[in-house]
Amino acid sequence: MNVHKAYYEIVRDVLALNIGEGALPQGTRLYVAAVADRLSVSRSPVKRALELLSDEGVVTRDGARGYVVGRTVVHDTTRPNLHLLDLHLPGNETTALVPPSWEMIVQKVDQEMMNAIPFGIYQISESGICDHFKVSRTVTREVLARLHDRGTISKDRASHWIAGPLSARMLDDLHDIRQIVEPAALDRAAPALDLGMVAAMRGRAASALSAEQTLTEDMLDRLETDLHVTCLSPLRNLRLAQVVRNAQLSFVVNRLFATYIARHDETAMLLEHRLVLDHLAIRDGTGAAMALRHHLDADHIRTRDRLKVLAVFGDPSIAPYLTRLV
Amino acid sequence: MQRPLRVIGRSELLPLPIRQKAAEELDFPVEFELIDGIEGLQRVVTRPESFDVYLQWHTVDLIWTARCIQAIDLARLKTGPEIMAAAQSQSGVSKVIDTVFDKLFVQPDGTLARTPSDRLSMLPLVHGVDSFGYLAALRDGLAPNEAATWGWMLDPRWAGQVGLIGDPVLGIIEGALAVEASRGLSFEDIGNLSVEEVDEVIDTLIHKKKIGHFKGVWSQAEDAVRLIQRGGVVLQTIFSPAAAKLRGLGVPIVISTPAEGCRGWHSDLCISAATGGETLDAAYDFLNWCQDGWAGACFARQGYYATFPDRIRGHLHPDEWDYWYGGIRAARPLPDPEGRICVPTGHRREGGSHRERMSRARVWNTFMDEHTHVVRRWRDFLEA
Repeated sequence: MNVHKAYYEIVRDVLALNIGEGALPQGTRLYVAAVADRLSVSRSPVKRALELLSDEGVVTRDGARGYVVGRTVVHDTTRPNLHLLDLHLPGNETTALVPPSWEMIVQKVDQEMMNAIPFGIYQISESGICDHFKVSRTVTREVLARLHDRGTISKDRASHWIAGPLSARMLDDLHDIRQIVEPAALDRAAPALDLGMVAAMRGRAASALSAEQTLTEDMLDRLETDLHVTCLSPLRNLRLAQVVRNAQLSFVVNRLFATYIARHDETAMLLEHRLVLDHLAIRDGTGAAMALRHHLDADHIRTRDRLKVLAVFGDPSIAPYLTRLV
Repeated sequence: MQRPLRVIGRSELLPLPIRQKAAEELDFPVEFELIDGIEGLQRVVTRPESFDVYLQWHTVDLIWTARCIQAIDLARLKTGPEIMAAAQSQSGVSKVIDTVFDKLFVQPDGTLARTPSDRLSMLPLVHGVDSFGYLAALRDGLAPNEAATWGWMLDPRWAGQVGLIGDPVLGIIEGALAVEASRGLSFEDIGNLSVEEVDEVIDTLIHKKKIGHFKGVWSQAEDAVRLIQRGGVVLQTIFSPAAAKLRGLGVPIVISTPAEGCRGWHSDLCISAATGGETLDAAYDFLNWCQDGWAGACFARQGYYATFPDRIRGHLHPDEWDYWYGGIRAARPLPDPEGRICVPTGHRREGGSHRERMSRARVWNTFMDEHTHVVRRWRDFLEA
């Protein structure tokens, strides 16, 4: 399904490449903001990329002072100007890391909006989008118009573009659609699924169930992608696939919950996933669809509860062109 | 050296005498932290390791969803058998604060429900009902036998002299009660309004604000006192400690008993998911101490009811018991928790006895499902 690599993966690869080649020497201090600026990307993919590299031992976290290339932290106070470094970047220096077609911007903005609106209401800065994506007003207006059509944003009384809040009603409506289409889509996709792949997915769900520690966000993403994206990938009806994808908003809430809440328990979700995969493993599409319907209903209740928790939060990390109003 | 037990809660729920007495009587150090705003809740859900006991207020479903509190072992509570008996018999306190019992017991699947089990989400501590208060002089302008109604909050007779609570969670409930009464509407579930109903309520409030109906909005108890004392407000939402304070200052404030019922509330003790070892033992000791009677008697003097009144009866003077729980005229001047006189001789608590007053709880404080929408529209109101 995913033809593009995720943004943070691209950033991770670029950073790893430049560290490997020595263009980013050992000991170089990397602040999220500075790297984002150097690569002309937003902060959140940089943050995730650096976390990944830190897990891999390529960079080391230095408390509030960002990351340092290599495994040891050198305590100097210099802040290197990353623009002075001759980095190896895809494309040429004047274009962004990933050339932004405006469709990609729509997708990106839509995603960043979704990451913000469970927390409250945001005002969208037109010029902020221009600056952030290095695009013209015309392109930005096109992007906003599309988002308006999708129902992601609206105008307030003072004619500002506003996103949010994500209401329980919106979750209900999308769940309603999803409950109708996604099980049917899974039933259609089931005969063409690779059983080896299904077994691997089931293995992941089972091992997550037996693991002691809380699921990481990446594990959670992986498990959700397994069931709700990969299992539907054999679908030939791309319009149906699109409808399913557009209704999968609860992902966002569950992921944010995992990001911000100290202790989340995903046991129920894992048990439900495993049950669906059990049916798929014996090519029982009807049974899988029923189990999926049960999972979606149970998940909807959890998502509604979680949305309420997110609503009390102060300052989530959000895209620079959004300003929180409430 | 044992580390202190860290207790956090709102200031009205942890008055000074309680903090002092707990420190004195418990054989381990206790640190109290008073957090009134939303910051307390934010901290609880993001950093369960930063507290041990949380005195929660209409948020148990949220903090349980976030799993930042741990289940309380019923067997370790002195009041365990009483709680179980109330739950099983569906009588007594489980009726008085039924909303608490609805999410009291941890079920095998990890959800909260009324079906008894040996694990609790929270230990119910105090409860009460609130409504609006008004100056006694306002009665002069009433028709003969006119009964109090939430509609008064929006009544043109008191235009420019009405105060409101600034908190969106409580404010929307009171707004809805007022709109229902004054416009003859009926909301399906006044404790959980739909998007359209929230809009209806807020649009009405905004209109009223624009024509100068509201004199002020308060967020802290002191502001509520000031608005009435010298802010020109004759009618507004009020909590019982603020009303007691006004009475102590000689201001003749009357707590209404609206025909449509009152807004119920409860506050309960929860233990952090991160607390363990000897600190967990200390947490249980603290919970048991709070239920012992002395603390409940202290709360009674600011108008709050304890979960098991019989336990505190011996800690109150019979005159105090008669006034606060019995709804009987004060036989003599009565003190607040800090010993200052707050009830004059002959005063009778509006609404009557504990049971009579609690039976008027029409709706309970709660985060509505459309909480974010409520907050958005409440902001529109505050800024209108």
